[in-house]
Amino acid sequence: MAQRNKDPEKPEQIDRSRRNFLKTAGAVSTVPLVAGIAGAAVVDAQSAAAVVGPGNVPVQLMVNGKRVNLNIEPRMTLLNALRNKADLTGNKRGCDRGVCGACTMIIDGRTAYSCSTLAIEVQGKQIRTVDGLANGNTLHPVQQAFCDRDALMCGFCTPGFVMATVALIEKHPNPTPAQVKAGLDGNICRCGTFTRIMEAATSVKGVARG
Amino acid sequence: MANAQQPGAPQPAPSGPTANAKKYAWPEKPVVLSTRVKRLDGPDKVSGRAKYSFDINRPGMIFGKVVRSPHPHARVTAVDLSEARRAPGVRAALVWKEPGTGATSEVRYQGEPVAAVAADTEEQAIDAARLVKVTYDVLPHVASEAQSMASDAPVVFQGGNTRKGMAQEAGDLEVGFKQAAHIVEQTYSTHVITHVCMESHGCVCEWEGDKLTAWVSTQGVHASRQQLADGLKIPQANIRVITQYMGGGFGSKTNVGAEGLICARLAEQAKVPVKLFLDRKEEHLDTGNRPSAFAKIRAGVSADGKLTAFDGQSWGTGGAGAAAGFPLPYIYQFPIRRRVHTDVYVNAGQQRPMRAPGHPQGCFLTEILMDELADRVRMDPVEFRIKNLPEASPNAAWGDYFRQGAKAFGWDKRHPTGDPTPGPIKSGFGVSAHQWGGGGRAGRAHCEITSDGGVVMRAGTQDIGTGTRTIVAMLTAETLGLPVSAVKPEIGDTMYPACGASGGSTTAASISPAIRIAAGKALDQLFEKVAPQLGVSADMLVADAGRIHVKGNASKGMTWRDACKLIGTDTISTDGEWEAGLSSTGTSGVQFTEVDVDIETGIVKVKRVLTVQDCGLIVDRLTAESQIYGGIVGSLNFALFEDRILDRVTGQMVNPNMESYLLAGMSDIPKIDIMLVDTPLQRSRGVIGIGEPPTVSTASSIANAVRNATGATVRSLPLHPHKILAAIEEQKAGGTK
Repeated sequence: MAQRNKDPEKPEQIDRSRRNFLKTAGAVSTVPLVAGIAGAAVVDAQSAAAVVGPGNVPVQLMVNGKRVNLNIEPRMTLLNALRNKADLTGNKRGCDRGVCGACTMIIDGRTAYSCSTLAIEVQGKQIRTVDGLANGNTLHPVQQAFCDRDALMCGFCTPGFVMATVALIEKHPNPTPAQVKAGLDGNICRCGTFTRIMEAATSVKGVARG
Repeated sequence: MANAQQPGAPQPAPSGPTANAKKYAWPEKPVVLSTRVKRLDGPDKVSGRAKYSFDINRPGMIFGKVVRSPHPHARVTAVDLSEARRAPGVRAALVWKEPGTGATSEVRYQGEPVAAVAADTEEQAIDAARLVKVTYDVLPHVASEAQSMASDAPVVFQGGNTRKGMAQEAGDLEVGFKQAAHIVEQTYSTHVITHVCMESHGCVCEWEGDKLTAWVSTQGVHASRQQLADGLKIPQANIRVITQYMGGGFGSKTNVGAEGLICARLAEQAKVPVKLFLDRKEEHLDTGNRPSAFAKIRAGVSADGKLTAFDGQSWGTGGAGAAAGFPLPYIYQFPIRRRVHTDVYVNAGQQRPMRAPGHPQGCFLTEILMDELADRVRMDPVEFRIKNLPEASPNAAWGDYFRQGAKAFGWDKRHPTGDPTPGPIKSGFGVSAHQWGGGGRAGRAHCEITSDGGVVMRAGTQDIGTGTRTIVAMLTAETLGLPVSAVKPEIGDTMYPACGASGGSTTAASISPAIRIAAGKALDQLFEKVAPQLGVSADMLVADAGRIHVKGNASKGMTWRDACKLIGTDTISTDGEWEAGLSSTGTSGVQFTEVDVDIETGIVKVKRVLTVQDCGLIVDRLTAESQIYGGIVGSLNFALFEDRILDRVTGQMVNPNMESYLLAGMSDIPKIDIMLVDTPLQRSRGVIGIGEPPTVSTASSIANAVRNATGATVRSLPLHPHKILAAIEEQKAGGTK
């Protein structure tokens, strides 16, 4: 859930110009948390001074092995940050509530719904998106299996399914159908390609543990 | 309209093949067609390289957000944008629903657009939308068919809450029912579901002077251009619509919708590109749905199992002022029949066509009835259906398919209604039949062959996920005797020749003849250049396996590459258009289903589905099968899971999301066996289309299987556990006859 960055009771406090708003917001980030500033993100609970936002703050992410420097509001999700600010649009937004799985990324080896993960929370972690999976024009074995089995139709859910399958295969190199079901039940395909996703996931061979 | 020509009904046969259709007839022994060719854009889709309209990021682009009515029925009396305009990052704001006192200021469903804003970030746009102050006079509403039809219902629609259609009648009902040995009289119904496209509706709009480029998530680039032009009152020539990839439409994206026009207006005002894509709640509320269907039916059957008479009163809702048509009775022949249909309006978002519009509803209402009738005369459901089919034809081959399917499925192992096995898990078989029109209409293509051997085929169609890009290349490759990889297909842009929207399973059948003719003409021109070199006449040449050579003498010829060098500084450039003779209309299919029902919990588990399906000449067998898998899963969702639930009191949708609007996941998928009919007869019919037919029957066959398992009849979809348990209790208490 995106959080509001200002006091809903006192909207008149908002400065009229965007530039000044950002300046003010930047100043707010240096003062301690005060009542009425809803939604300020606490980065480090052990440090009372480490309250950031509202307003843009620098966020550094490690995405597909590359450093991505962003200046974003702390409430911005990882998905929106990468799609809207870094043009990494491979992963998709379907439900925006952590259900459909189109936004699935792998963070420090585990799948995560990036629509329900704040970008600021995953600084310092290894983030993998579908954009970084292929090696140039050589597809990852999971991607190749999806193509070979026609495990996609419109393809909008596919990046999420691919990432969930990669995480599954890295944990279970030769997954059983039961393991595939458990691993991919967090993703939805409205075109209904499940039969072939199952074929693809159980046909992948030769993927090293990630 | 219920009484008009039903969508999906087979069209009358065209007058016969045109001269071009004869000249460029489909090959008797195709090399590429009907084989399994992998989706050409698969690598782009699995790698994230494919840019969907939602993925388009333009320099300086900002984000739009629509302000929507929270009320199912209200009058907008004032809209104040001033505070929103002052909010951080806001660059544009507009009123969509003009406030006032008349009907034009009324909102008639929750989620109807009222205003909009655009801001630098999505988050800021959402904040600003909350600051738009809309004043409403709340008006009475109706949230269900029953509320709308009640004698004391408030009249919430001009002209009344219902609209009764003409009666469809054949024969004297009294005579028909006299011939009946048994009569079943019941009410059957299906519910409203929404399309739930994974990519929501929306677009990116960018103006350059008075010219607009719109990247729309649409099933019809040319249709969208027209709608944008009409709505914005600018020439179509000033608009370019691009849809390189789109994330599902299922019928709901043949229109740019209010959101498309709003996005264009915001971009105009902000003077920068605007991206406006709806969120999931907006999707459920305002981008279409499949109408409900109800029917109170009285049906008679003779002692020897012939249907005698059908008397049905039907109704359904397509939301606020929209019709809810469906075919009834479906497929089976009631020689004497009457049907009267009434459209019922409720304060909810309007329906849009949804994958085989009307057919899943009409199929369910009829197929459940058929099993009840079969039991009355103690006949096997398959035999009973075969006995009451219309005359067989290439687009009505259910009799054959029932027999083939029953054998492959092991239908002979079906027990009579009610699984006698002890224990809570009951198993059952069900069956259903369906039809769909498909077929071709406006489709155009342009072919270019260049001196370097390159081939481009352009068509202003689009791929809603069926694999259109791939079949464009396959059809071209087949015609030119080239590998599929040698063709560059270009689609999804109004810069390419105009094609119809992708609806009604018509895309393949519309563009295939156009592509075949465009490529055939281009090849003829190449033959003219090659013929003098080989010292033969052009009509003696063939293109085959990457060469052009004399018919029957493969060594007397040249490679494609060398042939194309003869084009010199010119480019071969030809056009093709849909012509009768290379496509047909009308498909038929049957489905068999096995389920397990836990009679203690009411939970249904679909174990397997087998389908026999024809579609004329199969273009790509691999992607055709994918559509069948997908259609079956879609219908399983319709049967067991999804349901748009409106609160009876407030008229609010209570599940406008994906966590309580349920859809199948990997664990819910049965084993699916596809028997795709590929016979010389079907091939001779040309291309038809396969997107919709497979999604008609599954829900009905599941419902019949549940009935066979439990011995209790659930006469309304969805088959949610509480309804199954209630039906079982009712059955125990003496049943409903």
